Amino acid sequence: MTSQSRLDLLQGTLDLLILRTLQTGPMHGWAISERIQQISREVLRVNQGSLYPALHRLEHQGWIKAEWGISELGRRARFYQLTASGRKQLEVETDNWARLADAIGRVLEEA
Amino acid sequence: MEDELDEELRSHLEFQTRKHLAAGLDPKEAQRRSRVEFGAVELTKEECRDERRVNVIDNFIQDVRYAMRVLRRDPMLALTAMLTLAICIGANTTVFSLVNSIILRPLSYPQSERLYWVSERMGKDQLELSHAPDYYSLREQNKVFEDVAAYDPSTVNWTSAEKAEQLDSAQVAPSFFNVLSSQPLMGRYLARAEEGPKASPVVVLSYSFWRSRMGSDPNIVGKSITLDSLQRTVIGVMPQGFDYPKGTQVWVPLPFDDASQRPRLISRPMWIVNMVARLRPNISQQQLDTDLDRMAIAIRREYPKEFTAVGFLDSMNILARPLRRQMQGDLRPALLVLSGAVALVLLIACANLANLLLARATARERELAVRMALGSGRARIVRQVLTESLALAVPGGLAGILMAALAIAYLNASKPFVLQSYPPISLDISTLTFTFTLTFVTGLVFGIAPAFAAAGISIQDALKSASHMQSGGKRATTLRHVLVVAELGLSLVLLIGAGLLARSFIALARTDLGFSAQNLLTLRVNLVNSRYATVESRAQFYDDLLGRILRLPMVQRAAVATDIPLSGERHWGNLRFQVVGRSPLPLAQRPTADTTVVSGDFFRTLGIPLRNGRTFDEQDSTKAADSIVINEAFAKKILPGEDPIGRYISSRKGSPDWRIVGVVGTIRSSDLGADPPPLIYRCTCQGNSFLSRMGIFVKTTGDARQAVRAIEEEVSATDRNTPVFDVKTMEDRLNDSLASQEFQLVLIGTFASIAIILAAVGVYGVMSYLVTLRTREIGIRVAMGARLEHVLRLVLGESFALTGVAIAAGLFGAWALSRYLKSLLYGVTALDGFTFAIMPLGLAGIAIAASLVPALRASRIDPITALREE
Repeated sequence: MTSQSRLDLLQGTLDLLILRTLQTGPMHGWAISERIQQISREVLRVNQGSLYPALHRLEHQGWIKAEWGISELGRRARFYQLTASGRKQLEVETDNWARLADAIGRVLEEA
Repeated sequence: MEDELDEELRSHLEFQTRKHLAAGLDPKEAQRRSRVEFGAVELTKEECRDERRVNVIDNFIQDVRYAMRVLRRDPMLALTAMLTLAICIGANTTVFSLVNSIILRPLSYPQSERLYWVSERMGKDQLELSHAPDYYSLREQNKVFEDVAAYDPSTVNWTSAEKAEQLDSAQVAPSFFNVLSSQPLMGRYLARAEEGPKASPVVVLSYSFWRSRMGSDPNIVGKSITLDSLQRTVIGVMPQGFDYPKGTQVWVPLPFDDASQRPRLISRPMWIVNMVARLRPNISQQQLDTDLDRMAIAIRREYPKEFTAVGFLDSMNILARPLRRQMQGDLRPALLVLSGAVALVLLIACANLANLLLARATARERELAVRMALGSGRARIVRQVLTESLALAVPGGLAGILMAALAIAYLNASKPFVLQSYPPISLDISTLTFTFTLTFVTGLVFGIAPAFAAAGISIQDALKSASHMQSGGKRATTLRHVLVVAELGLSLVLLIGAGLLARSFIALARTDLGFSAQNLLTLRVNLVNSRYATVESRAQFYDDLLGRILRLPMVQRAAVATDIPLSGERHWGNLRFQVVGRSPLPLAQRPTADTTVVSGDFFRTLGIPLRNGRTFDEQDSTKAADSIVINEAFAKKILPGEDPIGRYISSRKGSPDWRIVGVVGTIRSSDLGADPPPLIYRCTCQGNSFLSRMGIFVKTTGDARQAVRAIEEEVSATDRNTPVFDVKTMEDRLNDSLASQEFQLVLIGTFASIAIILAAVGVYGVMSYLVTLRTREIGIRVAMGARLEHVLRLVLGESFALTGVAIAAGLFGAWALSRYLKSLLYGVTALDGFTFAIMPLGLAGIAIAASLVPALRASRIDPITALREE
């Protein structure tokens, strides 16, 4: 929770994380950020100022779609879920990410 | 939408606050903390909106702004492109407005697409002329027309208290106005029974005649005017725009009717008429043709003897042509060729601009690569490059419209002879639609090659600076070569077209008229007063008039004749005859010749040379009336290898044979371009039928125009009720005959010039680019000891190769298109060897000249600088 532990996410990376998070099922914005934070063990913190523009961008691109629903706490919220093309995009980006990570890792080890 | 965004963010804050509450914070603190964590709510909202607003329109505006910036960076390119476009789109718009005004725009009659011009067509020359009896048969028995109307355009002599004037008139059937579905502006038009020899003397006035000559008299109906010395009662005035046949000022009833024309008898004079008809709704072209064929057969069956006698039985058919097409006349093929030519110019311009933009796209490769690396998709890049070309095209198109407006204003003001019989040209909605579409299509066409070349850029290659010059890409270079070959090839097509037209213009202008047109004034008079009922009285008038004219100081000679050469008006009869002393032939196989009646001094007035025998003199009189003079064409065609002098010909049983006394040179009697037919001259001095309507020829010592006034006064002094009309010098008539050829030549010549300039610029551009691209290579060659001519050869060789391919393509194109030009040519074939040989040489010369500058630049490349540049 301290500022040192916070990592700024590149734009493309945030998209990837959102898509991946939504793979488990529909979720509203706050839940997405909480989940990313939880799973990354508080290393990755999603700034709301980037989260919502990213959600709107992904929706505009047709990778996710939004619906109003009632949250587990009884509050009305906007729920996002993956579309078919979003699923495909997730595969592509996961693949890209793996290759990039692999490449960087190799450079760090061997160079 | 806005509310939803608000609600969504508020829900987030609430969830966060609840989380803090659950962690044990007091409500106030929990709220405060979640707000702080969230940061600037408004900014987030703004960013969300931004993410959504990235849409087509926004992108477009962004692209346009960007395009403007790019264009401003290179104003010379922008200016060149816009100027090229303005000229080409202007030329296209002008030609389209001509086509639109003359060919496309419907006639101003209701449902004018159902109006047809109908005619009988017969003989081996496919002569289009209709006979009145057949008009009545057709009108009665056809199954496809609502109504058919016969009409016969002519002129009448209108005499008023102040003056006498010759008017264009038409004798029409009562159904005429019905067929054209027009209501009179005031009064009525002809009633059903108002035709025939005893038709009541009535007249319908045109709007322009009513306005200009009758002072828009609102009470004109019921008054009378004198036409050909007959008092006619005005029964109606037609509205403005009712103008058929073109230029008609008054309509009068036909002087014949069904009863006086049918049955068709060879012994009875038949009227030759024109026919216009209105098709019934929903009749197909095939139904129309079938019914007309049926009618033609029925008419031929009805009068087998008549048709056999003149030998037309098997060939007479009936045709119907859309009235609009009929009225377009001779200009149609020329306009179609012009449209094709001007479209080629635009294509060349597109190729040229594509080339210019390609050159720039290459220079901009790194910029575009950077944009792509920053996340612009290829589609976006293509769109942006296309937007740039549209940003060039739209102002170019607007400037083009302006140029077209100027050109059209000029055409309407100067009214070249070829356009005189058509309505004024206008820049209307359909022309503007055409131009806007054209502008956009043009923008897309010349933008597509650069756009895809840009999208094809490999990011890695372009960003590697070391290879920046070579990375222009083989593809782009090939594309540029293809474009320049296309430009040169299309230019060659235009050059050959212009060359062929120039050759025919020269051939036509150099045509030997057979007479001297210099200082020769021609005019017509029409004797219609009852004073001139007899041949003698008419002869007396002309004798008096010629005597008076000859006494004028600047007059050398004067003559009268039934016809004026090159006037487009023919009165002479076509005669079938037998050569006396040869075995008699059936009518259909007899030779034919035109006949014309001239006064004794005609040949000397026109300077027609006597080849053999004599012309008319004192021996020829009413008592010795059998002499004729023939032209050389007659002698060659009908009496080849024989001495014609003293030979007799006979035309009709019972009338005396004619004796040939002289042979004169052949003159271009009707059309400048038509081969003159055999012609028989007879003399007015023999009491031959002096027509009421005669042409008068006056040879003057100086400029013939200066004699006009004096001659008009002499005619008026001879008879003040006889107006002079169709006054023109023979040189003017000659110019008019050349006018349409000249018009086509000037336009196609202009287009070809634009094309060749564009092509030269294109070649220059490509060669310059090539030299820039190979600076290093050339530098190395020079460093290795290559001499000047090697370097020159390197560049010029490339240019030669491109031109060679272009010439082959261009020759093929010209060959393929030549048949469209055929109908416009005279005295030269559409595959004229001279033109096809000389134009490619010219093109090659220009292409080499255009690549000379880059070649010289290449030869001056300093190897040290060239190598350091990298």
